Amino acid sequence: MNSDWYLYMAFAAVLLFVGVYCLLTMKNVIKLFIGIEVISKGLSLALLATGFVAKNTLLAQSLVITFIVVEVCLVATALALIINIYRHTKSLDVRKLAKLKG
Amino acid sequence: MIWHILLLSGLVIFSILAVLAKDLIKSAISLAVSSLLLGILFFQMQAPYAGVFEISVVAGLITVLFMLTIALTKAEDDVRESKLPRLVFPLFFAAFILIDIFVMKGLLTKVPALPDVAEQGSFSDVLWKQRTFDLVGQLAVILAGVFAVLALFRKRDKDE
Repeated sequence: MNSDWYLYMAFAAVLLFVGVYCLLTMKNVIKLFIGIEVISKGLSLALLATGFVAKNTLLAQSLVITFIVVEVCLVATALALIINIYRHTKSLDVRKLAKLKG
Repeated sequence: MIWHILLLSGLVIFSILAVLAKDLIKSAISLAVSSLLLGILFFQMQAPYAGVFEISVVAGLITVLFMLTIALTKAEDDVRESKLPRLVFPLFFAAFILIDIFVMKGLLTKVPALPDVAEQGSFSDVLWKQRTFDLVGQLAVILAGVFAVLALFRKRDKDE
């Protein structure tokens, strides 16, 4: 059991690393959001893999479905925000959001 | 098990492509492919409902939303990303994998062993009876998302 769990968790950690690297280095707002999506993939993999290894897939599945619903709402809201930001600043550069001036 | 490793490797490769691709459309498509691979992995792990949700909602709906946003903004050339992060990425990635391999096993041994409880009932029993409060939370989050999107777009109309 433990070696399987180790494998899944190692891959989930790699996905988390890729997402955090994107968040730290990229400047396009949409790219940053793609980084958040990659992190959330790693998290849902970790959730379901833990359930699979503990032979409790039903509970893990319902948790993953809750997670996916929350993720979709987050994406819809954030993309609406990004469109508003673009209309405001005419750019997707996150550095131009440093000023709080309206 | 080999299938699982292949799917996981594909998932990581397409996620890296999604992060490093210069074209935003290409990154959105790579993200969709990685969701598809994750969905297939869920099916392999005997979790068909989570797989269906992952493929239909994450690979389908979220990709459409990303495409829509990219089409509505069309400003990908104006953000100048520096080349350094792309060049240095393999170095950091290799370092992280080394750390991951050596540290993860030790970390997992510190987690208390999960109880092997035999599952009872069906998926709908677990979702509707055991996790009822989660469903209330989901409903609240969906409503919050709908109102947020409505509010964001209404404000723009007033400004114009």
